[in-house]
Amino acid sequence: MSKFLAIGALLVLLVFAPLSGDAYLVRLGTLACMYAVMAASWNLIGGLTGYPSFGTAAFFGVGAYTSGILCKMGVALPLAVLGAGLLGVVLAAIIGFILLRLKGHYFAIATLAIVELFREVANSATDLTGGGMGLNIPRHEGLGVYQEAAIFFFAMWALLAITAAVCLFVERSKIGFALACIRQAEGSAEMIGVDSTFYKTLVFALSGVFVAMAGGLYASWVHYIEPGDVFDILLTIKPVVMALIGGVGSTVGAIVGAIVYVTFEEAIWRNYLDFSSGIIGLTIVGLVLFLPRGLGSLRLRWRPRASTP
Amino acid sequence: MIFYQVLVNGVVLGSLYACIAVGFSLVWGVLNIINLMHGSFIVLGAYLALLAYSSLGLAPWWTVAVAAVLFFGVGYLIQRFLINRVVAAPVMLSLTLTFGLDLIIQNAMIYFFKADYRALNLNPALGSVALGTVVVPVDRLIATIFALLLTFALYVVLRKSRIGRAIVAVRVDQDAARLLGVDIRSIYAIAFGIGTAMAASAGTLLALTFPIAPVVSYAFLGKAFVVCVLGGLGSVPGAVLGGLLLGLVESFGSYAIGPEFAVMLSFGLLIAFLIARPQGILGRRGFE
Amino acid sequence: MSYAFVRSGLVAARSALAVLIAGAGLGLSGASVHAADVIKFGAPLPLTGALSPEAVKAKQGFEVWMDMVNKAGGIKVGDRKMKVEVVFVDYQSSTPKAVQAAESLITQEKVDFLFSPHGSGAAKAASNVSEKYKVPTVAATASSTQVFDQKPKYLFGTYTPNETLLGPLFPLVKAKLPTLKKVALYTRNDLFPLSLAQAIENNIKESGLEVVFNEKFAINTLDHSSALSQLKGAQPDWIFVTGYINDNLLIRKQMIDQRLQAPVVTMITGPSFPEFVKAAGVAGSENITGAAWWDAAVRYKSDDVFGSTEGYLRAFKEKFGSTPDYGSASYTVAAVALQMAIERAGSIDREKVRDALAKLNVNTFFGPIHFNEMGQADSYSPPIFQLQNGKTVVLYPPSVKQGELHLGVK
Repeated sequence: MSKFLAIGALLVLLVFAPLSGDAYLVRLGTLACMYAVMAASWNLIGGLTGYPSFGTAAFFGVGAYTSGILCKMGVALPLAVLGAGLLGVVLAAIIGFILLRLKGHYFAIATLAIVELFREVANSATDLTGGGMGLNIPRHEGLGVYQEAAIFFFAMWALLAITAAVCLFVERSKIGFALACIRQAEGSAEMIGVDSTFYKTLVFALSGVFVAMAGGLYASWVHYIEPGDVFDILLTIKPVVMALIGGVGSTVGAIVGAIVYVTFEEAIWRNYLDFSSGIIGLTIVGLVLFLPRGLGSLRLRWRPRASTP
Repeated sequence: MIFYQVLVNGVVLGSLYACIAVGFSLVWGVLNIINLMHGSFIVLGAYLALLAYSSLGLAPWWTVAVAAVLFFGVGYLIQRFLINRVVAAPVMLSLTLTFGLDLIIQNAMIYFFKADYRALNLNPALGSVALGTVVVPVDRLIATIFALLLTFALYVVLRKSRIGRAIVAVRVDQDAARLLGVDIRSIYAIAFGIGTAMAASAGTLLALTFPIAPVVSYAFLGKAFVVCVLGGLGSVPGAVLGGLLLGLVESFGSYAIGPEFAVMLSFGLLIAFLIARPQGILGRRGFE
Repeated sequence: MSYAFVRSGLVAARSALAVLIAGAGLGLSGASVHAADVIKFGAPLPLTGALSPEAVKAKQGFEVWMDMVNKAGGIKVGDRKMKVEVVFVDYQSSTPKAVQAAESLITQEKVDFLFSPHGSGAAKAASNVSEKYKVPTVAATASSTQVFDQKPKYLFGTYTPNETLLGPLFPLVKAKLPTLKKVALYTRNDLFPLSLAQAIENNIKESGLEVVFNEKFAINTLDHSSALSQLKGAQPDWIFVTGYINDNLLIRKQMIDQRLQAPVVTMITGPSFPEFVKAAGVAGSENITGAAWWDAAVRYKSDDVFGSTEGYLRAFKEKFGSTPDYGSASYTVAAVALQMAIERAGSIDREKVRDALAKLNVNTFFGPIHFNEMGQADSYSPPIFQLQNGKTVVLYPPSVKQGELHLGVK
């Protein structure tokens, strides 16, 4: 109940962004929702199950290109996004089935290689994806700037709400319990009858579907994508950092982390021209060294000592 | 006849790859840390060589020694005070830490060296040697020989010296090593220092072969990954074999199916190995 | 139950506080004041990241223009003069960030007009923003027709299409080398090089020549030796390499390593920049041909704030102590085009300036500027040159020809 309340509070807060009347702020809000979807999804496989996946960018890119190609063929946006999600699930299931037998560093490297592989495939399949020349997605004529921004915001926001609901459900259900067992001691979990292959593949597929849909929305939002833009490793790393900020293993944490990170990066970007990436790097280092359990571990003085989750 | 040229290209390229990867493999194998700064250290070594040549006229093979010593120290300190804190932590944490540190190094490099590409042109130029119809550039040959020498030296150190044997012991069984009185923290720092020193030394030699800019570090890092998985972690001969394999695959693959697929090929090979034989050709299974 | 409630409330409160603080920080830093007598131009540049060398040149190009204009009192708008200010934003060499930067400049910095980010891909992506907001935008370095193929209303590019870049070189080479038959193409798998390669392929077909090698290389390729060995086997008379300066430097070096020689070698981009000769060496760069949309050797008389090409060279030398290359000049002329459109429109109303740009027909230090119905410049011939003895020698157009084509690249 408490977690639902927290998520609800955040979503309500976000919804206020479009009311500001500033299309740029709405853009930031959309970006925050998008990253929140990615962070919460990563949290499923990386945080709850303990499998460090770099695959977020792969799903994002696949979703972006699927939806982009479908839109170009005349399919309406909602269907295109659903198509992206579908392909995301199928791909995640296949990749998961092959790769989830690996653990730790090896799993991380394998998923990293998948991203690079997909990018090069997108680069080469020129007839389908436009290759190195990029893909143009048709603009929506007749929409004002603000209206278009608001539409995409609400679409991304709705996706976030669905993602959050699913992630919370997973966290609190039998599935989440099984994942925790797998994370802590996979061998022992198997011994007590947890079908780790099934659960791992299931959660990997879940971690892919919403990210793919976010990618699908993204493609229509920006109207032009290149393989290097959407199969970018940073699209994996940033959600991980966001999950770290909020506390790994917590959906609420991932969403909070996304909002905090997006606003923080924007503030740095505006003000520190020459050193923005260095400052972000410094922040990441500080986070890992001093706050590895996220901002949530900063204890406020009047809180009673709680047992660590 | 072109077959022999492609073969030689592959072997020479592979040796360069081995050179790039051996320090990375050591760190990964011994500390179980994937050091995302590895590529940047290579580039820093290259900048050192560029500076030494342009201001002092020192050819890169003299700068190698300086680079090795200097960056051993740098690596040792970084590990001792920063990386050590996450050695036992989950994978994602150590990856994120080295990623953040790499961002800082990249920003600093762009700020101090600017992002444009620079090349080290020796005067007089080294040219190439021809054996029949096969042509080999001399600078790559020198880089290859040095790479193999350095790698061999490392191998000898690991097998014969006390510190080296301690490092291998930690890699094989950490707890047993600790019980035998090995100071794990200090070994970690030394191993990391060696890894960094190898990276920088490789960089000074690579300055002869590639145009250098901060952003090139990612390309080097990518190759290091693939070589380590192919050859096996923590194994010096493994890095050499893995490098050669990658070089040959890229060379022949580029010839057979086209150069645009070269990058795809290397990552495809990586995934294939991870699925079929994650410990690589020579390695034992790394920590998981 | 109540403890959990309090805890979740605290989580929500903490997050809200974080967001509010961050938002306040944003607010304090973001909003800017629009002075009454100043025209604001937005320039998203890749100040950090892989493309930052280009940003340095771009910034110089803008600054020399700003100085010149403000020294003369500003741009003449109707019956008064308004000073100019260029707002720079770093998009970190990332195309999605460039799009964000464009929107930020329009809605937060409230610029009147916009310049495109660097290159064709980013210009295309960012144009979606400027089209939505109806802001006249001039692209300094977007030469690929793909950028304009959706007929943007508010985007204008001062580069002539890629097709015009190398066409004139063909008759020149044919004249010097009557036995010309076999051509090789080696292209980076990226928007601009691919677009250029397509244009070159058309030129090759029209000239009745034969393509014996046509391959693409992936971005970030570290080694070209296999491809070059193959290329060598095909024994071409003419080799085209399209990529960015780092690719071309590496390829040139590996060509020398492999002892790959040919009568004519043309490389885009790279040879026009002094950095290329510096990195490749005088011997390494000898007889490489290239083309660019401008060269310091051209001479035009102009109605712009510089008066002539020599005037521009003088102003640049005075400010930066060096000769500009086309990297900087491209950005200066983009600004000049926008300035002259504003002057002819007599106002800073966006629609009026947009129409003035569409009708523009002026002489600048860069060459005559006029845009075709797609928005691309169609009014001048990009100079073709060859590196001889470490210097650029212009071969075309005839009005500024400095020397003859030499055959033989070792």
